[in-house]
Amino acid sequence: MGSIRFDKVDKVFGPRGSGVKALDDINLEIGEKEFVAIVGPSGCGKTTCLRMVAGFEPPSAGTVSVNGKAVTRPGPDRAVVFQQFALFPWKTVRENIELGLRNKNLPKSERDGLVAGALKLMNLESHAGAFPHQLSGGMQQRVAIARAYVLDPEVLLMDEPFGALDAQTRVVMQEELVRLARVNPRTVLFITHAVEEAVYLADRVAIMTRRPGRIKEVLDIRSVREAENWDRLQKIEDVMDLESFVHLRTQIWKSLREEKGAHGV
Amino acid sequence: MIGRRGWVSLASVAAMLLLWFVVTTATGLVSPGRFPSPADFWQSLSQIATRGYAGGALANHAFHSLRLVVLGFLVAIATGVPLGLWMGWSRRAEAAINPIFLIIRPIPPLAWIPLAILWLGLGDAAKIMVIWFAAFVPSVINSFAGVRSIDRPIIEAARMLGTPRWRLISEVIAPAASPMIFTGLRLSLQAAWTTLVAAELVGALVGIGFVLNMAQQDIYPGMILVGMVTVGVLGWATTMLLGRVERRALAWNVAGRD
Repeated sequence: MGSIRFDKVDKVFGPRGSGVKALDDINLEIGEKEFVAIVGPSGCGKTTCLRMVAGFEPPSAGTVSVNGKAVTRPGPDRAVVFQQFALFPWKTVRENIELGLRNKNLPKSERDGLVAGALKLMNLESHAGAFPHQLSGGMQQRVAIARAYVLDPEVLLMDEPFGALDAQTRVVMQEELVRLARVNPRTVLFITHAVEEAVYLADRVAIMTRRPGRIKEVLDIRSVREAENWDRLQKIEDVMDLESFVHLRTQIWKSLREEKGAHGV
Repeated sequence: MIGRRGWVSLASVAAMLLLWFVVTTATGLVSPGRFPSPADFWQSLSQIATRGYAGGALANHAFHSLRLVVLGFLVAIATGVPLGLWMGWSRRAEAAINPIFLIIRPIPPLAWIPLAILWLGLGDAAKIMVIWFAAFVPSVINSFAGVRSIDRPIIEAARMLGTPRWRLISEVIAPAASPMIFTGLRLSLQAAWTTLVAAELVGALVGIGFVLNMAQQDIYPGMILVGMVTVGVLGWATTMLLGRVERRALAWNVAGRD
């Protein structure tokens, strides 16, 4: 349970024929409990890929499927963590996390147990009664992750989830996410433009071209991580110092830089 | 409890009262036949408060007017807010309703008075209807704009969580639009008070509008001012009350507060 498949997917924005082609022949398979990150230049359509799995946008051609079933609409089997958190500001932390469970018509006693577990998992127990505006950005994103995790979704879709956070908070959240992914592995599609983040978190990294976005290459990170035993190190900066990490990071950077080509940067 | 700005406001009110006293009483720049002096005002106020005027005491007239405004306002928001939310949510509803709305909207609420009387007679129902029409428009427009201004990720998050339609409206759309809805309610309340006196000028036997009408016929400037000030005070008090409800309902909305 929990595989994602892009099969010959195109996406055109605007009228057919004269519209802008955003994605061109995307083919990608994400296996059960695999963590795949997509990196690419801004505007390459990586977020559109995630939005199609979420069911927010239909593909213009080809199919996007989860567990072999074509995606037609959003649903709690595909939980999304948004860059701008997208919490409900009029609901407390507890109510935000609980809404998806109420939608599943779970009885109160069961909901309470699950919410308590999610609060504990994300270290939010002391903030259960707070409103989102009373929390820092990092805390708000913890709530959003808890809201997604509590649904026990088959796939977790994360759209630059740490992009709006300051550098220190981002590092803490990345370490936390690695902890979660190891303790409670599930299928994750993670969108980012931060190369180091992708290498640190993912099992595989897919690199996209400039618009119209295509998948240029897919790098296997997991085999290197396991061979070099990155997980023995607790801190992200120690992992980032490893020669194997630096090598992968440089490889992705070079690949992305070719994309930026004539435009420099 | 009174801050610096509170003192400025108090001083401003005091200055206005002083100016009033100076031009009408101390210097006689304005004759009492044109604008009543504070003493005239006080005398009129005590007359209507104790012995009554135009068939009743001030409390009777005020209560009657207040009742009309509150009823008209409640009917207006009970119909206007849902309609605005629906038009905001459904492009099809907008396409169907907006053209009609755009034609009806420029008609002044008071222009409905003849029809209202024809339909409902000279009683309270016709007046409530006119107030309803006046208060309806701002509720619709602001609720509509409130829905259209909701950040897309908020709605996407709710749909991703599998929120069923009714809960989406009651727990996501309506609260997300509520800062704008309350702006609409304030404007609706204002419109209700603005329309009240005109609605009561026609065929009323009680109410502040009737007091104003009688005072005009009696050429009684002091009583005219009493009627006007009563509307002002009642309007202010109901607006304060609504503001209190708003602050409580929108406690989560830190950006919308001073």
